[in-house]
Amino acid sequence: MRRLLALLRTGLRQNFALALLKHKVLKERKDIWLVLLAAIGLLSLLPVLWGYVTLLRHIFSILKPMNQETALLTLAILAGQFLILVFGLFYVLSAFYFARDLEFLVSLPARPFEVIGAKFGVILVNEYLTVLFVVAPVFVVYGILAGKPIGYWPLAAIVFLLLPVMPLALAGLLVMAMMRLVNVSRKKDFLILAGSLTLMTITIFLQLGLASNRNPDELMKFFTAPDGLVRLVGEKFPPCIWASRALAEGSSSVGLVSLVLFVGVSIGVLLLLLLAAEKLFYRGLIGLSEMAARRKKLSKGAMAKGFSRVRGSGQAIVLREWRLMNRTPIFLLNGILSVILVPVMIFFMVRSESGSMTTGILKILGSGNRTAGILFAAVFFIACGCLNGTASSTFSREGKNFWISKVIPVAPARQVMGKFLHSYLVAVLGTLGGSLAARFALGLGWQIILPAALLALTAGVLFTAVNMAIDLARPLLTWTNPQRAIKQNLNVVLAMALDAGIVFAFYYLAQFLRQAGLDGSMLITALFVALIVLAATAVFLLARFADRRYATIEI
Amino acid sequence: MIELKNVCKSYNKGALRAVDDLTLAVRPGEIFGFLGPNGAGKTTTIKMIVGILAPDSGTIVIEGLDNRKEPLACKAITAYVPDAPEIYERLTGMEYLNFIGDVYGVLAGVRTERAGRWLDVFELDAVAADPIQTYSHGMRQKIVLAGALIVEPRVFVLDEPLTGLDPRSAHHLKEAMRSHCDRGGTLFFSTHVMEVAEKFCDRIAIIHRGKLTACGTLAELRRQAGESESLEKIFLELTES
Repeated sequence: MRRLLALLRTGLRQNFALALLKHKVLKERKDIWLVLLAAIGLLSLLPVLWGYVTLLRHIFSILKPMNQETALLTLAILAGQFLILVFGLFYVLSAFYFARDLEFLVSLPARPFEVIGAKFGVILVNEYLTVLFVVAPVFVVYGILAGKPIGYWPLAAIVFLLLPVMPLALAGLLVMAMMRLVNVSRKKDFLILAGSLTLMTITIFLQLGLASNRNPDELMKFFTAPDGLVRLVGEKFPPCIWASRALAEGSSSVGLVSLVLFVGVSIGVLLLLLLAAEKLFYRGLIGLSEMAARRKKLSKGAMAKGFSRVRGSGQAIVLREWRLMNRTPIFLLNGILSVILVPVMIFFMVRSESGSMTTGILKILGSGNRTAGILFAAVFFIACGCLNGTASSTFSREGKNFWISKVIPVAPARQVMGKFLHSYLVAVLGTLGGSLAARFALGLGWQIILPAALLALTAGVLFTAVNMAIDLARPLLTWTNPQRAIKQNLNVVLAMALDAGIVFAFYYLAQFLRQAGLDGSMLITALFVALIVLAATAVFLLARFADRRYATIEI
Repeated sequence: MIELKNVCKSYNKGALRAVDDLTLAVRPGEIFGFLGPNGAGKTTTIKMIVGILAPDSGTIVIEGLDNRKEPLACKAITAYVPDAPEIYERLTGMEYLNFIGDVYGVLAGVRTERAGRWLDVFELDAVAADPIQTYSHGMRQKIVLAGALIVEPRVFVLDEPLTGLDPRSAHHLKEAMRSHCDRGGTLFFSTHVMEVAEKFCDRIAIIHRGKLTACGTLAELRRQAGESESLEKIFLELTES
């Protein structure tokens, strides 16, 4: 246990780079602006939080007269746990099997369950930050509006703390079982990708399955029965019902039994994970980095052929980016695959009842107001192409290899343009995938899709440049776990926030232009021109910034 | 030729002086050994020469070019090998060499000849088509060296290049470097192996706590230290706390 705690403490310090941050802020007095930026970022979330709380109060006021207000808790817990399960698969895979500290950890006199326990603890802390904004406001709003007694709050804290345990432990069990199977093969990278995608598909289908349809009579029964909506929402995942009842019923026998069930099953699944770690973890891990090598001496002809293709430096950099991104499973899952997955997910989601409702809304938008349809579709395409972290982690992904970019005789502006082309290519693929999904899954017409795609492709230039600039300003080059370079990289979050800000700015610009009397076509043209000007400026400034910034990045 | 004039580099807002007013010159055709205890400032100096770190003050001139004012021209005539072979693991050895060849503008015919030669010398020809991820530490060190050698620059800057190399590869590297310097090129390298410095270098500099404590041929160092003993003894005396 002492070893587990020591590993956990070290893991947390490493994960949050506490020693490095302390050294930079207190000793080198660098990166103080980062602390300020984080504070400003948190403050900027306040309006969003206020909006969320208002929405929750509204939902509560609708559910209360029907005696179904506890369903609010069930929904929040279910949403939080599924969020953790889907994202947890990647976090767990990366932390358990691809972190660079594993070789060191394996050599320590620690049992597999201690290593896994510590790694699990680190991911758990990260997950608290993820669900804090989704679940905690619901607990608080419910507690206040339902007039819960003081005993509710410690219960809420217990449920919150245990909330991510079960889905994360389930993700851990699935990943460990998968890796045990993968590690017997020579084609590990391919199997890891295939396995991860399968696990993700299963969890998504499970999620869609939960939203299965019922006829109106059945639904009415759920609404009229006490606690009916709670059962409807949580019937396929009972832990949500236990957690909700533990909070809603408090010290009553139902409440206590629910709490014992929730706590017991959470701890039980965690123990199962630790037990499985003893059997599966090292068998899945050891030898994982050993890849299949051909070890075949090249003939003179093969050598001549291999070295015959000479490329320009810009082209060489695009090719390097493409290869490194797509050959690293964690990067590939977050790059090209995520832009392919989004349209595929949409295709399946529209098959559900709520999905066809979305299609209906889109059709109305498209037919009734063409301009609104184009703008809505453009935002969707931008989300498909630009929200994947490829651009906003382009420098961070190089990690300790960044020394190569520092010493090669290629101007930083040129290097950055190579990286830009690679990131933009991913954005184009995303826009293309989004367009196909819009046409064939959502049924939008080409008269909407084509101008929207044109807007999105232009906006893609702007967003790619802006996202790259954020990563260039503070590249994360010291990571030991590739997940940290892309999925847990603050730059990716900052870039998404800024992208959302730009979209909002354009929304207000569109409102302003409409009020100024511009008709639909003129409005779209004006936005298009504004985007071209901004995109060209952003690319120009990015190149200038690169020339200045490369010289000051020290590694 | 490499010239460092009054080069300073500090960390923690000046609290830690990693390199303190360093002035030295490496002449063309010279193998220059750079010695010092751990944390003396060797790697910091090397990183400033190749442009990874920027000095706080002072100038670094490579073949007559100021590396801050004309960084690209300096980089085009310099090849650097770091002490730890951090490298693109997901590329194959051949792809890495092609990348280096492309960014340094090495022509196809020349690239094929040089790459073939060095892959053969370092016994990497059987693994050239495999991902670098499958290489041992020594093989990674050798592929980085091969990348530097296919460029055939005027100046080599190598940070502990012999660490991790097998004796045969170390021998070939030393021969190649000797021949490079005999043709008028320059080699600046750091090492902890006194024997190598003693036998291989034309001149040696010893750095301690960021300051240059000695610089010259082995005979000159012996005279400076008043010693007729080995370089190891001189080194120990000069770097005593």
